[in-house]
Amino acid sequence: MKKFIKWILSGWMVILFFIGFFLFWEYSVVFFEVPKFILPPPSQIFLKGSADIDKLIYYTGITALETVLGFAIAIVLGLVFGIAISFSSILRRTLYPFFVSIEMTPKIAFAPLFISWFGFGLLPKVIIVILVCFFPIVLNAILAFNSLSNELTLFYQSTGASRIKTFFKIRLPAALPQCFVGFKYAGINATVGATIAEFIGSDKGLGFYISIVTGNMRPDLAFAGIFFLTCLGLAVFAFVTIMEKILMPWHISMRRLNKQ
Amino acid sequence: MTKLIQVTNLKKVFEDGADQVHAFGPLSMDINNGEFLAILGPSGCGKSTLMLIMAGLLESTTGKVEFENKLVEGPKTDIGIMFQNNTLVPWRTVKGNIELQLELRGLNLEDYQDKINDILKSVSLEDFAHRYPHELSGGMQQRAAFCQAMIHEPKIILLDEPLGKLDAMTREKIRSDFQKLWMVKRPTVIFVTHSIEEAVQLSSRVILISPRPGKIDREIKIDLPYPRDLKLKRSEKFMKYVNSIEEVFHEYGVI
Repeated sequence: MKKFIKWILSGWMVILFFIGFFLFWEYSVVFFEVPKFILPPPSQIFLKGSADIDKLIYYTGITALETVLGFAIAIVLGLVFGIAISFSSILRRTLYPFFVSIEMTPKIAFAPLFISWFGFGLLPKVIIVILVCFFPIVLNAILAFNSLSNELTLFYQSTGASRIKTFFKIRLPAALPQCFVGFKYAGINATVGATIAEFIGSDKGLGFYISIVTGNMRPDLAFAGIFFLTCLGLAVFAFVTIMEKILMPWHISMRRLNKQ
Repeated sequence: MTKLIQVTNLKKVFEDGADQVHAFGPLSMDINNGEFLAILGPSGCGKSTLMLIMAGLLESTTGKVEFENKLVEGPKTDIGIMFQNNTLVPWRTVKGNIELQLELRGLNLEDYQDKINDILKSVSLEDFAHRYPHELSGGMQQRAAFCQAMIHEPKIILLDEPLGKLDAMTREKIRSDFQKLWMVKRPTVIFVTHSIEEAVQLSSRVILISPRPGKIDREIKIDLPYPRDLKLKRSEKFMKYVNSIEEVFHEYGVI
């Protein structure tokens, strides 16, 4: 509780800024007489959104499922491929350049294809989320597992320890910070992937909701959908940050956060 | 004294595509059991590389290293290493880092608890056993690295400019830690440094390496009694050794 009060006190500037932002929005819409079907004031978004809350929560659940499933599978696949490429010179010369070149393709361009192949259900969305999350994870994992300091390498070699032992005691913990750079980047991409996949072809989810209500000239409901998407994105990011804090409290980025 | 390591016609050339860097050699030398040998030379003369090849941690281009008359073909494990950049891992405490050495070697941690406490005490770190490396000063980190490198009581200790980044006072303290340990346990120490004073203070023999490509210029036996304290460092004999080595490097144009 004390911590919470302290947090509120230390965050008062940001809170004030948000309040100011919404007040500015509310009154400038009125002042400039912007039609409600172009840009509704926050109060109307809140009122109309509350009326549609059941649907919004249900759709948030759908999009969350796609996001979390895709993100989790991408983490597993990304780490497996990242480690395999780091430890195999053949894969490093074949799969790695292949991945780097695919990374340059906007993955979302595959979305219509996946929808046409796999239909309107959960599967194509999850695949698209995996696709947008996989590459940042795998490329950062390769970097992570290849940047052990020369001194530590010589140190473990001088102990005669087995490869498996050095992997779990040195290589893996040493690689975690850089792996988390990939996880965070992928976490941000995950909701983007799910939303766009839903825009292109679906019958439920927040992306579907936003595209339908926008078509019905209901920007107030679209903003309510965007609000829930933002919450989902924040939740995914918060989860990654908390995991980072649990798995590596010793890391320099955590130390800086703890000091603030 | 018995021979421990025999180096014959050893040479190292680093190849990076078309670029070739001749690090050192060919050179030959013997290292005796229980001696404190300093390998002294200007930066870039290949002395660290030489040390790593002797420990089997790096391959030579030509020549061979024999360890107790057996050819060295892979990493030697009966060694303890300290580098300028220490090998403490940030996710373990000081004690955890010392235990890392034991765990990697598959040694039983319980057997070593007393020894860990003793060695921490010997470098005045007993109150910092449960601190993380980032909570320690550079000098304390290096003393913790010292404990990590020595806990398994290696027969050979490799020191690759372990005091390079430290301030003068801390250096003096850790030098005396090295000396104390060597006088009691008598391991074989190979000490790579570019500090003339440090080489003369600690070692029983100094090998002078010329600038790249490194060759053995000469060997100097340091005939001074141990322990070599501050008083000895101010003596005329000590200064004579330092001056004569300085002159050699002056001829090379490195100082």
